[in-house]
Amino acid sequence: MITFVLFSIKRAWQGFWRNAVMSLAATATMVLMLLLLAGFWIIQTGLLAGLQFTEQKVQVEASLQPNTTDTQVQALQVQLRAMPEVAAVAYVSREAALVRFRESMAAQGREDLTRYLDANPLYASLEVQLTDPTHVRIVGDALRADPTVRNVYNIEDLVDRVLTITSILRTAGTVVLLIVGVIALFIIINTIRLAVLARAEEIEVMRLVGASDAFIRWPFVFEGAFVGFLGSVVTLAILAAVADPLSAFMADFFRVLPLQFGSLTRDLVTLIMGAGVGLGILGSWLSVRTYLIR
Amino acid sequence: MTVAPAQNVARSIRHRVLRRTQDQAKLERAVLVMHDVTKEYPNGKIALRDVDLVIPEGAFVFLVGPSGAGKSTLIKLLIRDEVATRGEVVLDGQDVARLGRRQVPRMRRKIGIIFQDFKLLPSKSVYENVAFALEVTGVPRRQIRPAVERVLALVGLTAQSSQKPSQLSGGEQQRTAIARALVHDPRLIIADEPTGNLDPLISWEILQLLLRINELGVTVMMATHNAEVVTALRKRVVALEEGRIIRDEIGGAYHRED
Repeated sequence: MITFVLFSIKRAWQGFWRNAVMSLAATATMVLMLLLLAGFWIIQTGLLAGLQFTEQKVQVEASLQPNTTDTQVQALQVQLRAMPEVAAVAYVSREAALVRFRESMAAQGREDLTRYLDANPLYASLEVQLTDPTHVRIVGDALRADPTVRNVYNIEDLVDRVLTITSILRTAGTVVLLIVGVIALFIIINTIRLAVLARAEEIEVMRLVGASDAFIRWPFVFEGAFVGFLGSVVTLAILAAVADPLSAFMADFFRVLPLQFGSLTRDLVTLIMGAGVGLGILGSWLSVRTYLIR
Repeated sequence: MTVAPAQNVARSIRHRVLRRTQDQAKLERAVLVMHDVTKEYPNGKIALRDVDLVIPEGAFVFLVGPSGAGKSTLIKLLIRDEVATRGEVVLDGQDVARLGRRQVPRMRRKIGIIFQDFKLLPSKSVYENVAFALEVTGVPRRQIRPAVERVLALVGLTAQSSQKPSQLSGGEQQRTAIARALVHDPRLIIADEPTGNLDPLISWEILQLLLRINELGVTVMMATHNAEVVTALRKRVVALEEGRIIRDEIGGAYHRED
């Protein structure tokens, strides 16, 4: 058994280098396809992270009546925090609202008009973060029902639209990734098939001299796995080389996105290695099978 | 042709011959029995019809007939590349149609087959081409070298063992193929037009080698178009035409009509 495995691995290694051009062509195709797959996967992951980030930004703001007491505010906050849809509640006092307004005016380089006013014209408000953006209506209604609430900013329609767009983008991203995956699968299997076809002569001789199916099949399967492994390693090396500049570019371009390649690495290595080695083995297995079934 | 002494071969063959003389039953034992064999291909073409053929151990048989007469199909049935539609093909006591997937390769090791186009692997040397047959059938490494050296000596290619097929003459390539066919110590050598690609002088050389192998006790079946050779040797001739055996006689002549 060990002799057989050693024999297969040795033959796989010899086979790879004896047909170096064909093997390297198969590896190059594998690298291209894996890069394509990885590229789409990174874009998809980035897109999902971006969408999630956008959705997390959804919060319900309610301005409070000017005569609301601290006790009433406390009570409302407690009531809101008890709701399962609510992730966090923040109280913004009138003074804090004014400071925030002035800062935003200054940031935009516009004149601070509030200094011409005698009194603070702003209302105190509650900012309610949601566990899920789809809960916006429930939380909004709960706030409207409270007598201390002066007004709830109506963002329901906007949220609905954002949610529709994000769900379309999610589905589209998944579909594109699947299509790219299937295309990569066919191209890789076909390339390996060509590499095996180039050795049809050898397989024929093996059959004629009475080699068993296992002795014919396994060297090719190992060779396919080797092509897949080599392709994965090259792909990962390329990705590692471009990861830092790309990451900097992405952070620069999207600014707000909390996208980190560090967290992607493990999943990406698993995906590329799995896809590469798996497709290499599958491709060889299917290609050799054509010769064995007679 | 220079042939190096191969004492091992001689000993093993002599052993076989002695055993045969001791045991009358084994002398009569047939390497190949075909009984009422018909082969019809899926496209409806009938390649062989009711073929009956017995080849005793140690025989030398020519298989002749025009192209398309069924010679190739007959050979394919023997190596179980195809299975007979009707009838039995019994090789060395085993019905080849009843062999399981795992037994077929074992059965093929009892047959050494030689082709017109040699079917050598161009990237391997003479030695490696012959050793390949043993490596891929799981023969332990330490047994490979002596076995390969033995058959290379028998066909007279010891000096060329490290050359690639492209560096060899046609006759030397065919001798390499014969060495590869012999390395499993087969019960039957099937030669399918072995001299088809060779000039007359080299053809005779190859034939001399096959005859010598036959004298050492291996059964040989040779399919050929070479009328001159068949007529000169006065061996048993089985003639096929349109899938039937039309003649089967010892010392027969063969007149090409195609």
